[in-house]
Amino acid sequence: MNRRHFAWAATALVALTLSTPSFAADELRVMVHSSFALPKPLLAQFEAENKVKLVILKGGDAGEMLNKLILTKAKPVADVVYGIDNTLVGKALAAGVLETTGVPNADAHLGAALAAVDYGFVNLNYDKAMVAKRAVALPKTLQDLTLPAYKNWLVTPNPATSSTGYAFLLATISSMGEAKAFEWWAQMRANGLKVVKGWSEAYYTEFARNKGAYPLVVSYATSPAAEVFYSKDKLTESPTASLNLKGGVFRQVEGVGLVKGGAQPAAALKFVEFMRSAPVQETLQTEMWMYPVHTGTPRAPVMQHAAEPTEFESPAAPLIARKGSEWVARWTKVVLK
Amino acid sequence: MPPLTHRQPGLQSSVWHSSFWLGLLPAAALLVLLIAPLLRLLLAGFTGEVGLPGAVADVSLWQPWQDDYLRWRVLWSLAQAGITCVLAFVLGLPLAWVLARFEFTGRSLVLRLLMLPFVVPTLVAALGVLALWGPHGVLSGWLGIHLQGTPWLLLYGNLFFNLCLVVRAGVDALGQVSARQVAAARSLGATPWRAFWRIEWPAIAPWLMSGLCLVFLYCFAGFGLALVLGGQTYATVEVEIYTLVAHELQLGQASVLALWMLWLTGAVALVYAWLEKRLAAPTRVEPVLRKAPQGLWQWLALLAALAVLVLVCLLPIGAIVWRALAADAWATLLEPDVLAALGNTLRFSVIALVLATLLGVLHALAAQHSVWWRAAAFLPFVVSPVTVAFGLLLLYPSWTASLPLLLAAYALLAYPFVTKALAAGLDSLPPHVLQAARTLGASPWRSFWRVTWPLLRPALRRGMAFAAATALGEFAVTLFLSRPEWTTLTTLIYQRLGHPGQTSLDQAFVLACLLMLLALLSFLMIEWPAPGFENSQQVAGTDVRPKAHKHA
Repeated sequence: MNRRHFAWAATALVALTLSTPSFAADELRVMVHSSFALPKPLLAQFEAENKVKLVILKGGDAGEMLNKLILTKAKPVADVVYGIDNTLVGKALAAGVLETTGVPNADAHLGAALAAVDYGFVNLNYDKAMVAKRAVALPKTLQDLTLPAYKNWLVTPNPATSSTGYAFLLATISSMGEAKAFEWWAQMRANGLKVVKGWSEAYYTEFARNKGAYPLVVSYATSPAAEVFYSKDKLTESPTASLNLKGGVFRQVEGVGLVKGGAQPAAALKFVEFMRSAPVQETLQTEMWMYPVHTGTPRAPVMQHAAEPTEFESPAAPLIARKGSEWVARWTKVVLK
Repeated sequence: MPPLTHRQPGLQSSVWHSSFWLGLLPAAALLVLLIAPLLRLLLAGFTGEVGLPGAVADVSLWQPWQDDYLRWRVLWSLAQAGITCVLAFVLGLPLAWVLARFEFTGRSLVLRLLMLPFVVPTLVAALGVLALWGPHGVLSGWLGIHLQGTPWLLLYGNLFFNLCLVVRAGVDALGQVSARQVAAARSLGATPWRAFWRIEWPAIAPWLMSGLCLVFLYCFAGFGLALVLGGQTYATVEVEIYTLVAHELQLGQASVLALWMLWLTGAVALVYAWLEKRLAAPTRVEPVLRKAPQGLWQWLALLAALAVLVLVCLLPIGAIVWRALAADAWATLLEPDVLAALGNTLRFSVIALVLATLLGVLHALAAQHSVWWRAAAFLPFVVSPVTVAFGLLLLYPSWTASLPLLLAAYALLAYPFVTKALAAGLDSLPPHVLQAARTLGASPWRSFWRVTWPLLRPALRRGMAFAAATALGEFAVTLFLSRPEWTTLTTLIYQRLGHPGQTSLDQAFVLACLLMLLALLSFLMIEWPAPGFENSQQVAGTDVRPKAHKHA
């Protein structure tokens, strides 16, 4: 009996040792949010040119991804991180998960540790068909949305669990001021605001365009272009459009940077440059639906359906870092509790 | 607890000694992986400090009751568990009675299929419920209503798992009602209803109550179902704890909630233990003979019972298969991250199974002569995995992303199945056979190998099957302690669920189908025994009340 147990124990120990991954010297671990997407040949080319093997780790929603980095700080899970944006950079810096020196082209919006890769706008999208069917003019201001005519119109992702929802909340606070903004949210709650966990649930389940009941959704300025791009029929016009209201547009800048304590700083820096190289800047437009930071990058033709908003909110990162979680807690209290 | 007779004559003198040494490893595992993290959590809750960066410490122990939102979460968690108990009881008792008293073709098949929900991973079950009743679900499309955003999704999911548990407990309990007493009551003029009420009900009530206690615990501490089906309004405390850690990094508040969960589940677990203790040991009675249903009403009752079973326990599984077959997404199985997740799932499950078997066997052997050891094996059952994972996270911050910790947690949650099945097997060993072997000159080792082991093997297999199913479908601990590159099938399904578009949903269904196939293998290990082992299997199995996936 004892022999048998000993054999089991030995097997278990051997199995455990064998299965604990020891990271190969030529492996570059890249932490990304779940929306990261680049063509395989492009990634393969990077691997060949730099003689590394890319291990892409999808850490969930951007906020969730950052929390994973923070919770695993003692034993970093990645060498380089892409997808921390201006809403999260303050938290990342405060938690000390980023290598703060040495990243080339560090961006003014993102602080010293991140190089900007792309930017986008969180705004309202509407379903043209349903708005036409309801025969109500589109709202002109956010305040209009609290009127009875727009009862049960808007669906938003929860700022506590979605960076999209968070960005939209920041925009409202930035334009109206904290007190007014939460007053507006309370009125919206009374006017049938629908809250769901994440952006995809809001857009693909509740939004009228996708058989849901809500004509307005918190989404991105590029979403109407994506509708055309992915449509089965050839469309000349998008079935959805952006609705850029004052205080309802947030400019988001996403960056790439080195994880503090990562094992491959040299290769990680190569990856930072790679994300800002011309081929990536060109393809990310229709892969991740963001605008490239390099102004010289030719725009993908389909992006004509995604006009850039001219007015937007972009609160300072340190302020967001200081007040962000307090605002989310207050939002939860005002809208959900 | 059945009487503990001399089972291993050769070891009598050193009983205490051997059970101490045998139990050392499981005890250490429990201490390091369960009790210490819980104490750490208690400490964090009482002092308001949390040993991780980014934490907000200014939370009070009473916050869950002062704050409307958190109070609603706690009360709803209690309510959904309570409502599920009532529904499971109201539906389950008549069902159990019909299955226990009527003989019909396919009865044994139905009883076997009752075990099926036990091995279905929670996330797969949640997807099944969505496929039926979700926004574009099969039944909801057909009936023109969808249940997303209502409490019914979660309650239906709860019933899927727990109705079978109540029915199974009811059938077993009704099998122990004395036929003579029922016959006597009937011959004295009692109506069938009165006979049930006066003779059968008192005999089975304690068993059903203890079963319902388990149901309450599963629903209350459940995570996966509530996460996927609860939405914004009907998620439970466990989901709130997860959200606070993963999305908001509010570890202080999370630990206070986890603490309250611990106390509440502890209280229910005490009631359960008390009920179990009061249960009389099953005595050999002449069971009531089953009769073929006669007349329209009895046939209708049987059909209604089977219809309820199909509706609650089989449809969600069928819906997954249907959606997966209809989906044009089978190519996803060849994607590298799916293959990696499949590899992880298999690798983790095998290692966890080996560890769980080791721990389980040692624990069962140690528990042969000690009621305390037996009770200790239930610890991983009564503490919710989210709480365990969170405690581990607090206690071993530098190990948060280490594979040994993850796998140890897997093994910890799975091993009580092995212990429970094996302990039941040991109890039902006929002592005289072993004594005969010893009298005929067999050494202790030889008599173990030739007599005890073949008799115990079915019980061990059964326990291992449940442990394997638990590990395959593990979800809560994986979400907490895993690193992105250790994505398993369950976490991958959850990720796909969070991605936009019909394609991702189709892929999730295909992956769920794959995971269910794996779980089905363990089901086959449980319910399709090799010929010749059928009898001992059933004896050893009567006491096994599986529960793992509920926690997952």
